[in-house]
Amino acid sequence: MAHRWGMAVDLDRCTGCEACVTACRAENNIPTVGDLQASRGRAIHWIRVERYFEGEFPDVKVNYRPVMCQQCDAAPCEPVCPTYASHHNDEGLNAQVYNRCIGTRYCANACPYNVRFFDFFNPVWEKPMHLQLNPDVSLREVGVMEKCTFCVQRIAAGKDAAAADKREVKDGDIKPACVQGCPSKALVFGDLNDPESEVSRLAESPRGTKLLEDLGTAPKVTYLQGVEHA
Amino acid sequence: MKSVYALYSNGDAAQRAVNSLRSAGYADHDITVISAAPMEEYEFSHIGHHSFQWYIACGGALLGLLFSTWLTTFAEKDWPIDVGNMPIVAWYPNLIVIFEMTMLGAILSTVVTLIITAGLGRRVPKLYDPEVTNGKILVGIAQPKDTSGADVERALLAAPGAQVRTV
Amino acid sequence: MSTSGDRLAADLLRPLNRTGALWYVFVAFLGTIVACGLFAWFFQMWRGFGLTGIRWPVYWGFLITDFVFWIGISHAGTLISAILRLVNAGWRRPVTRCAEVITAFALMIGGLFPIIHLGKPWLFFWLMPYPNQRLIWPNFRSPLVWDFFAISTYLTGSLLFLFLPMIPDFALVRDRTTGVKRTIYGALALGWRGTTHQWHRLETAMQIMAIAIIPVAVSVHTIVSFDFSMAPVPMWHSTIFGPYFVAGAIFSGIAGLIIAMATLRKVLHLQDYLQDIHFENLGKLLLTMSLLWGYFTFNERLTTWYGNGTAEINTFRVTQSGTFSPLFWTMVLVNFVLPVIILSIRRLRTVTGCVIASIGVVIGMWLERYLIVVPSLAHKYLPYSWGTYSPRPTEIVITAATFAAMTLLYTLFAKFVPIISIWEMRAGERPEEDLAAVSEQRLGESHA
Repeated sequence: MAHRWGMAVDLDRCTGCEACVTACRAENNIPTVGDLQASRGRAIHWIRVERYFEGEFPDVKVNYRPVMCQQCDAAPCEPVCPTYASHHNDEGLNAQVYNRCIGTRYCANACPYNVRFFDFFNPVWEKPMHLQLNPDVSLREVGVMEKCTFCVQRIAAGKDAAAADKREVKDGDIKPACVQGCPSKALVFGDLNDPESEVSRLAESPRGTKLLEDLGTAPKVTYLQGVEHA
Repeated sequence: MKSVYALYSNGDAAQRAVNSLRSAGYADHDITVISAAPMEEYEFSHIGHHSFQWYIACGGALLGLLFSTWLTTFAEKDWPIDVGNMPIVAWYPNLIVIFEMTMLGAILSTVVTLIITAGLGRRVPKLYDPEVTNGKILVGIAQPKDTSGADVERALLAAPGAQVRTV
Repeated sequence: MSTSGDRLAADLLRPLNRTGALWYVFVAFLGTIVACGLFAWFFQMWRGFGLTGIRWPVYWGFLITDFVFWIGISHAGTLISAILRLVNAGWRRPVTRCAEVITAFALMIGGLFPIIHLGKPWLFFWLMPYPNQRLIWPNFRSPLVWDFFAISTYLTGSLLFLFLPMIPDFALVRDRTTGVKRTIYGALALGWRGTTHQWHRLETAMQIMAIAIIPVAVSVHTIVSFDFSMAPVPMWHSTIFGPYFVAGAIFSGIAGLIIAMATLRKVLHLQDYLQDIHFENLGKLLLTMSLLWGYFTFNERLTTWYGNGTAEINTFRVTQSGTFSPLFWTMVLVNFVLPVIILSIRRLRTVTGCVIASIGVVIGMWLERYLIVVPSLAHKYLPYSWGTYSPRPTEIVITAATFAAMTLLYTLFAKFVPIISIWEMRAGERPEEDLAAVSEQRLGESHA
């Protein structure tokens, strides 16, 4: 059976440490744009930890919410792309083909989660930073859109490894960088088509919601959060 | 080839000249009337009025419609890519492209028809006089039955103020 | 007829035959600004799109505003001229060509913006459906592909709609010049003579074109509005956008036309042709469109306010009373309050009054597009991802250059082509009802 990759994010476990952000950067060759460009809004984060404050000072509670591409089943970013750079692949991922992208940035505007990023300049890695580039991930040149892929290179590697061992992919075999890097195990990745997988169970959890569910985008990321009875 | 024509300074005279050419045995399609502006209030301007332009425009539109219907459905089936959970052949968006191509078909066929039927894009034929652009009206015959053109001259002179010329 | 015809031709051909020193200075001045704009664009391509002020999450800014604005301006010409032709309004004759030219040039400029704003402008042709070695077709579900089809159809149609009635005038210039000019205008005249046969074919073709171009014009700006309304972005995703954009386009288009006509009248001394009555009529039309624009804006605002959607109301507030409010209320003032006051008082509906109102409308409609594009993108659903936008030099230079380009193209056109259709003016000179009786007599005679 075809895979259908999904993720669950337990907000009650998230400490807002941003290890996922760092792991993602290292894994996916995300360019560092420098302080000037970052101040102009050109920083790229395939995953970000949103921080919201509740209550009045000094009685403040901080909520964290890691937001990455929600890999929507009815993704608004896909139909608007004139060149099919943004499309749905057969494992349910919103694939982004950098070579097809001509940089209309329409997908980023259509995305309600603002998780798509534009390369404003050609990326540079100053020595010795270039040594840490991941050879499994293509570099993006100026003028294209990029976004979270659910570490599609790790998915491919996991499937290859399983095929070499002549077995099916087991739940937990494949871990995107953010999931692997999360110290509090707030992020869970797996196959939503496998009813036994952890992510499938969590997707059914009564604590689970989808981000901006009412927009009808059918995201494949479930956010888990207990209801507080004050 | 010899042509005989006369220049008139108003539509009434031109109309008379046309009428007298008809009496001299020339059919409407032999008579050339040239003016600097359309003169629809005169009967002579209805020479050559019959045209199939509307039908050809509709045909062009139909062609555009069929072509774009084929193009959109073929292209979508040729590379069946799933976007946003939409059907592979999505009629609503395709209709927009089909509409535009239909209109483009009508527009292009109209212009092509105009160029061909009005004989545009060719050299200016002999039977012409730049005086027309000064407001004169030219009435003439490109190929007189009488090779000397005497019959045409006679007919043209029947209308007042004729300046007969031969080329 | 011949004497008045001569005066007409002499008046309207004057700019073609005489060139003042000032004209060269003016053209050089505009050309410099256009060159600066081109330089800014090429520099931006070379260094990267980061030279603009575009930033996360406001990925569309000045350039898309300019795109919608210029496509809007293009609705002055062909659409209005086509409608006036179809209803056979006599006063259209001196107006049609100077209107159609606006369409042609504004579309060329507007059509450039989707290319300028691309991350990789040199790959714009990937939107065209043709069998290619990439083995892939464009996505017909993308509004940008609709844009490609709509704009290219409209541009083709408008250029032909402009060109066809120019043929007889080219023939006239051909017959009155010598040398190189004669060769060039002769080629453009396509061997036009003006036989009854040709006149009839031309007029029928123009009628068909007028009928075909009206729905195309309406569809073009509707499709431009679809670029926004197809995306689930607060205050974009709205059913009113199609008609709202079309109304706004015609509104700004008429304003552009009034400004162009007033300039032509002044510079080329065409008071006898572009008369007060034309400004009076266009002023009334502008007033109607201003009221219609106010009506649509009110509808849009009221529905959003009552709907009270979490995300929408934020965009609503930020334009109404937040950071964008100075722009918003300026827009309301110059798009609605000012034109309605000026144009509904007969004493103020003069040429000057119309021009003042039109300048206001042009500014206001540019602001309207800016207020559609930017505040919505800056205030999407997740407050963490809200952002700001301010333009940077390249965008400003490119924007300024397009206004210069429009003026330059218009100046050049008026220099080389009679800006008022001479043959249409001639055809309109004869009082038709007087001659109808005569014509009937002739008809009887000819069939006798």
